[in-house]
Amino acid sequence: MKKKELVSLGLIALALGFLLAFTYRTANRVERTVPYDRAHELTLELKALAKERADLEAQARDLRAKLAKAKQGYSEAQLALEAEVKEAAALAGAVPLEGPGVRVVVDNPPGTAGGTIFAVRDEDLLKIVNELRAAGAEAISINGQRLVSTSEIRTAGSFINVNLQRITPPYEILAIGDSAALKAALEVKGGIVETLRDWGVRIQVEARQQVKVPALSKPLRFDYARAVETGGKS
Amino acid sequence: MWWGIVLVILGLVVGIALGLNLPLVIPQAYGKYLGVAVLAALDSVFGGMRASLEGRFDNAIFLSGFFVNACLAAGLVFLGDRLGVELYTAAIVAFGVRLFQNLAIIRRHFLGRKK
Repeated sequence: MKKKELVSLGLIALALGFLLAFTYRTANRVERTVPYDRAHELTLELKALAKERADLEAQARDLRAKLAKAKQGYSEAQLALEAEVKEAAALAGAVPLEGPGVRVVVDNPPGTAGGTIFAVRDEDLLKIVNELRAAGAEAISINGQRLVSTSEIRTAGSFINVNLQRITPPYEILAIGDSAALKAALEVKGGIVETLRDWGVRIQVEARQQVKVPALSKPLRFDYARAVETGGKS
Repeated sequence: MWWGIVLVILGLVVGIALGLNLPLVIPQAYGKYLGVAVLAALDSVFGGMRASLEGRFDNAIFLSGFFVNACLAAGLVFLGDRLGVELYTAAIVAFGVRLFQNLAIIRRHFLGRKK
């Protein structure tokens, strides 16, 4: 009886010690492990954050697409600007041009040096250019001198100046435009070609599929003229 | 009597050593059941002490009370959690009150003044 009690006492002491130590260990792990409620809370937070992250990613994708679109618009605008600059340069004579047109070669009558009254004069060239322009010529050059808005054709001494450059016969006039119309305008009955031929000037007009008009040798520039601001303050 | 004290101390030391060194780890979620079980075991031990001091110690009741109380306490709290009832608090209060009562009675016995 006494022995039995001793055994039970020892057994219970062992069990109690074990339980106490084990609980102590478990309780002291609180700081190192996550309590159940906290885990639940963190799970919810994680879910919320994942959703937020997904939202933000979608937003980023959207913004990236918008950015790409904006960039595309920008490059399109740049292309348009470049095209406009090119066109303006062509109109101003800054670039060589080519297209269908006519080639007119004018030379002094045979046996006459420059200076006789039968020689080709600036007025003759002006009249030819005038006719060509009236017939719709888009670009004209005389002996490699491109005719632009500031170009002059005038006699200086015994020579003719174009763009302040001295040119000598034979005069080769190149014009881009409707070649048939240009040719017809020059060769009309009683027109400039017939008149000049009557004077004995050698003149040939030929329509060409491809005429190349050079660029202005010196770039066009204005020292005094300024564009009037439009659409700005009055 | 001396053998008993030696046996109790030896059992406690071996039990604590076992508990501290066992590579087994209980998940934190079950920590509170363990706590209730410990409380029940302590209550049984103090109950046993009080009974022996009162001279009506029964080995079978002591031994069965220790284990069954611990298991029942933990089991009831577990069941309460499954049912959504906070039996944990009830168990803590019940065992706590009994524990302090037993301690008070033991103290009085040692002071030699019976109620």
